Amino acid sequence: MAQLKQYQVAEALEQDLGDPNLAESIMSFQKVMEIDEKETFPKAEIDWLYNWNLQDYYVPQNCGGKFTNFEEFVAIVRVLCRRDQTTGIAFTTLFWSFLCWMAGTPEQKAKLSKYIREEHGALCLGYSEKEHGSDLVNGDLTATKVPGGYLLNGEKWPINRATISGLSFVLARTGEKGEAKGLSLFTVYKQELAESEYYNLPKIYTHGIRGSDMSGIGFKNCFVPDSMLLLQEGDGLELGLKGFQITRTFCAAFSQGAADTALRTTLNFALQRVVYNKTVFDLPQPRKTLTDAFLDILICDCETIGAARGFSVVPQQFSVWAAVVKYFVTTQLESAINNVYPVLGSRFYMREEHDHGIFQKILRDNSIISMFDGSTVVNLHALILQFRQLTKQRRRRKPDTMAAIAERLVQIFSLENPAPNFEPEKLELFGRGADDPLQGLEIALNQLEELKKAPDVDQGMLSKLTDLGNLILEELDAHDNVIADSKFEFGHDQSPELFEIAKKYCNLHASACCLHMWIYNRKLLGEFFAKGEWLVLSIHRLLKTMGTLPYSISEEYSENVAQELVKLHQENKLYSIVPIQLAQSKNIKQEDNTNVKLINV
Amino acid sequence: MSNLSMSNQTVVENWLKSQLAEQLSLDADSINVSEPLTRYGLDSIDAVTMVGDIEDVIDEELPSTLFWDYPTIAKSAQFLADNYDVSALGKTTSEPIEELEDTAIATATPAKTKSKGWGGLFGRGA
Repeated sequence: MAQLKQYQVAEALEQDLGDPNLAESIMSFQKVMEIDEKETFPKAEIDWLYNWNLQDYYVPQNCGGKFTNFEEFVAIVRVLCRRDQTTGIAFTTLFWSFLCWMAGTPEQKAKLSKYIREEHGALCLGYSEKEHGSDLVNGDLTATKVPGGYLLNGEKWPINRATISGLSFVLARTGEKGEAKGLSLFTVYKQELAESEYYNLPKIYTHGIRGSDMSGIGFKNCFVPDSMLLLQEGDGLELGLKGFQITRTFCAAFSQGAADTALRTTLNFALQRVVYNKTVFDLPQPRKTLTDAFLDILICDCETIGAARGFSVVPQQFSVWAAVVKYFVTTQLESAINNVYPVLGSRFYMREEHDHGIFQKILRDNSIISMFDGSTVVNLHALILQFRQLTKQRRRRKPDTMAAIAERLVQIFSLENPAPNFEPEKLELFGRGADDPLQGLEIALNQLEELKKAPDVDQGMLSKLTDLGNLILEELDAHDNVIADSKFEFGHDQSPELFEIAKKYCNLHASACCLHMWIYNRKLLGEFFAKGEWLVLSIHRLLKTMGTLPYSISEEYSENVAQELVKLHQENKLYSIVPIQLAQSKNIKQEDNTNVKLINV
Repeated sequence: MSNLSMSNQTVVENWLKSQLAEQLSLDADSINVSEPLTRYGLDSIDAVTMVGDIEDVIDEELPSTLFWDYPTIAKSAQFLADNYDVSALGKTTSEPIEELEDTAIATATPAKTKSKGWGGLFGRGA
């Protein structure tokens, strides 16, 4: 497999963090469990990451940092969150800095860059309020204009890192309640405030990520200078919603890291534990369960990495793509984690036993990811409102539209070439119905036709893949017919059925991403990836949820994927379409003890 | 303001009223063009979506925050009438979505012509 430059930083970070199974490693499982039990903020771990200069990868190159595009970023966050989501999230609140990178003046950007890179500053996002939740335009925190600045009054809650950070992005009402232009966004540096004019709210005790600084911040006639306002008065909501497109997409990376460890620790058990004279993994049912979880991770990889690169190519389409990723990846991996715990048995529930009890922590920590920065319902609703536009756009496509999509698909999905630099100013509040992965589905199907002549492609696999690809298209056409025939409504009274239709759209989207990912990288990502059996199983897995497909499409493929899973486990590599080398433990020598025969059907 | 602009403004106002009535299940006559759109249950994201509906009819790209910047039917209609050719809004009140058939794509895709449906898949042995 080719060495991909965009994964080198994640790999280096991984090696420097060391094997989390060893107590002496920073962010070892033992250590992060202690932090969780004590519910203390992971200060030493966060300091270590700053000293490693990881913060540079959250600051764009043109602002003095090293960030170029999100593919590299996703890989980094994954490496953190496979160890500990508490620390990974606490550090990654830095990604809210994109609000400033998107909209700040040169002075605001320079100040923030210095604050993050040189002062090791952290930040939080103050949007939600106790009484209003995600109903942002009806918030009570106000900013009243006074000479030279504004007076802030009100509280933001619950806010991650509200107390242990020096900078709050605060969304404040500068107009009437309910007005879309009635909100403004401020970059509030605490060290420049009078201490008597702001206060922190107490730590909120939570089900998971228990070491987090989940708290809040309040202001009482707190003066903030004009220089802290981002863009113009009234631009807060637009900026805030565009910021969500970024962060919602990258919440996926938190889940990907957690899913890796959930599967890895379960496999640690299943490969060793002997029952009925076999290891647990040698029993067909657990073997299938774990293999399916591996497929879930690979599917989500295609969606997440596709989106991470897509951000640089089609940023204007992310009112759709961000909603799809945030809903699909976080819930798919939540389910994957839930699906594997019966294999671990009662150990999944224990707080010390088996790998320091990391599984139950992951289960608790990870359950917040599909909720924060826009819940599943919020994201599906955002998608529903765009369905008519999506269907219209798809039906309006002409050959020149398709040629343009084809060009973009290469840029989005071909990992061989670095994605272009991300340009946040190109984000749009709504994408005018464009959605390249699904609207370019026919391009992928034509490419599959072309591959019938390729000597290096297993034609049996290709035949199955083509059948599945045609099914995606049929389902997508059927979806468009449903949308064209249904009555559209604004507001929040959409039928529950529409939410199910939205989930199905996300499934089709993920199927298309898997297909594109394989087509553009089959010569790049190694033999297992190239063979395409995982892809057939993955698309079958996704489509099976929406129709009466046979339970199994190929026992042989399933067995080969199971063997790849064991191989990655033994080689200590990330479960991923880009299986980077994980930190090797010197004490634990991995042995090749599998003796799995291929089942030829 | 010229008579032409006035009449264009009325065209836009009528179009917006009928859209809102349809999509918020309201009586068009009950909609006051001088009231904020939010009064009728149109939230900020809905308002962004509605910009797309107008774009489709007049075939022009509009600012996505149009209804945030001009938050009543009267104000947004005036902005549109003053800055764009809105005559197409006088000719259609319905969504064109059902009429769109992308023949260019349908014929270009071999896959589409040989649909087998859910039942026919994997008949040749997996």
